[in-house]
Amino acid sequence: MLRKILLTFSLLIFPLNSLLAVNWEDELGDHSGYNLKVQSIMDPYIDAVKEISPQFEAVTGASVTVEGFGYDGLHEKQIVACSQNDGSYDVLFVDGIWIGEFVEADCIEPVEDIWTAEGTDQSIVAWDDYISSFAGQAIWDDKKQCLPFGGYWHMLHYRTDLFEAEGLEPPKTFDDVLAAAKLFKDNPKYPDLEGGYAMNMARGSAAGQQFYEWIYSAGGKPWESNFPGSPDAYADQRGLYNSPESVAFIEWMQEMINYMPPGVEQYAWDERAKAFTQGKVAMINNWSVRTPLFNDPEISKVKGKFGVALFPHAAGAESVPPVGGWIACVNKHSKNKEAAWDYLKWFASPEVHREWVLAGAPPSRHSAMNDPQINAEQPWTPVLYESSLRAWQELRPRHALTFELIETLGIEVNKALTGESSAQEAMDTANKKIDRLLKSEGYID
Amino acid sequence: MQSEKIQKILFILPTCLFLLVISIFPFLYSVYLSLFQAKLTKMHKKFFIGWENYQVLLFEDDTFPTAIKNTFMIAFSSITIEIILGFIMAKIFFEIRHIKFSNALRTVTIMPIMLTPLCVGLVFLYILNPTLGIFSYILDTVFGIEPFAYLGEPIPAKISIIVINSWQWTPFMMILLLAGLMTVPNEQYEAAKIDGANWFHVMTKIEIPSILSFVLLGVVLRLIECIRLFDIIYITTKGGPGIATEVMAFFTYRTEFRSFQIGTGSASAVIILIISLIVTTIAVTLLRRVERNEGLN
Repeated sequence: MLRKILLTFSLLIFPLNSLLAVNWEDELGDHSGYNLKVQSIMDPYIDAVKEISPQFEAVTGASVTVEGFGYDGLHEKQIVACSQNDGSYDVLFVDGIWIGEFVEADCIEPVEDIWTAEGTDQSIVAWDDYISSFAGQAIWDDKKQCLPFGGYWHMLHYRTDLFEAEGLEPPKTFDDVLAAAKLFKDNPKYPDLEGGYAMNMARGSAAGQQFYEWIYSAGGKPWESNFPGSPDAYADQRGLYNSPESVAFIEWMQEMINYMPPGVEQYAWDERAKAFTQGKVAMINNWSVRTPLFNDPEISKVKGKFGVALFPHAAGAESVPPVGGWIACVNKHSKNKEAAWDYLKWFASPEVHREWVLAGAPPSRHSAMNDPQINAEQPWTPVLYESSLRAWQELRPRHALTFELIETLGIEVNKALTGESSAQEAMDTANKKIDRLLKSEGYID
Repeated sequence: MQSEKIQKILFILPTCLFLLVISIFPFLYSVYLSLFQAKLTKMHKKFFIGWENYQVLLFEDDTFPTAIKNTFMIAFSSITIEIILGFIMAKIFFEIRHIKFSNALRTVTIMPIMLTPLCVGLVFLYILNPTLGIFSYILDTVFGIEPFAYLGEPIPAKISIIVINSWQWTPFMMILLLAGLMTVPNEQYEAAKIDGANWFHVMTKIEIPSILSFVLLGVVLRLIECIRLFDIIYITTKGGPGIATEVMAFFTYRTEFRSFQIGTGSASAVIILIISLIVTTIAVTLLRRVERNEGLN
């Protein structure tokens, strides 16, 4: 029933003409001899980008080089290169939350300006086909700066075999998650398990982002004016990092850590996913980009033995699944912006996006979410689609201080989790430091 | 006479210019930037804030003072371990210096120094991994000790960093002290033997006083190295958990290249430089005093 409603909804908002095949020979320019360089995160979708890029090469004559970097390293490289007016890379894959910083640093050429000047056929861009909670991440200063292509949403991943053996339903609330984690930790019936649950707890970005991902479903909000449906999330940025809801959530994490694998204090995205892939934990919350990996028999021990559910929530609160992902931008300093834009509009178009998803990447458009073949190959798509429609686009701050702010928060959260400070002390300190940062840059008075 | 003076100036001018461009200008520019609220992403909008960056770093935020404290705690602990173990190893190699293969053995022993700290960090990251690491595996299978996150808890993480740092640099201290032991005249050992001195007397009355200048030289060099400690922290703990292993150099990197706060980062770099200068000056003065005393004796 839900699928039918979602399908009807998507067909209503999605223009059918965008499904029609584009004549790329006419649409794209001749870039023979040019080596187009794409700078990307080393996320699992990178192989799919490499797999489909030869199609672009065949039409345009350009060669495409895709280079991957780690999360922090990519951010560092991109900003430093931008400060040096470096045009080595033509296309920059940027985390949606970095958009404010990249616009402030004048690193990207707004795609809206490019397509207005070029008179690009809007059915190729098909902006309305993007899921709004993700598409909003590419907009800054009321302008579409980049093209969204790799939308991620968080889902709860759980081991169906273990849950069935224990007669458990997939957890819905924080209490359910805690009870299940307790049950599976050190359970002699499941000697392969090292923990009931795994979360991102490593100092810095990992723990900081984890806080933002959970706080809404914990019934809180990070700052005054940021809540799902807020008309202006940045109107009042006075921090609520030490609110009773925030502190209660950290205390819940402190309890949860007892039922996690040893060393979880150093877990970030890869470690969390690996623990689940290797069958070491019964549950994780995870970005959808890594979900296909769990079904890959070459690396996964849980193929066909896991299910997905909506992001859990605290009693009395609602599930607000985290949204994130990557947007493709034209490097302001690129030596060949025409080729970069051609690549972007080709790569992010509904037609190529579908092929990319079928090559193992995460669906980010309504059309892809409702594609029968994608649904067959990625059977978690209906839950993912529901998550995407419930998500709140301003989950994490997107202004120029975002990286620093998340890192600052991540240090304090990690301190609370490793017992260096209490939940209240850690969040009081985080609130104080973040307020000082925001004041220093004029975001609050 | 006048032309000779000009000639001399012309001779030293290239060196002065080189120093000015390579050392003095970057330092002065760092000092200048440290007085501004400056972010790499909007350098054109930087504005003067005076000493505020220094004030925030030293008095308002606990992270940088903790980083200073951690740096010296790690330096003091590592160097102490290195001196003790380095001396024991130097003594062993000194005693077996006439044995065949002792040179080859010595070469193998100093291999950790040849590794880049980055590789050392990676190796220990794997060794100490609670799930896959050999250390946890041995403790678990031999002693039945549960796997433990050595780099994930504040005190074990600090100890791990000290152990890793000492493991890499003990051979350096060993080489230095061995060189010192080689300089002790044979007659002194023979005289001690005739006087009936035991090993403890030989060590405290002959060897240690003789190698004191070598020890101090090692301390100075290692202190400078420890103040710049970065790679091992970057690979293993990234300053965590919390700020338990945050050190000055890593803090500066984080501020400059993760947050791109050039003003604050420059202020911390200037503070590090001042601390290094003070520490090095004290250590070199001590070294000179010891050398003078040795000369008098």
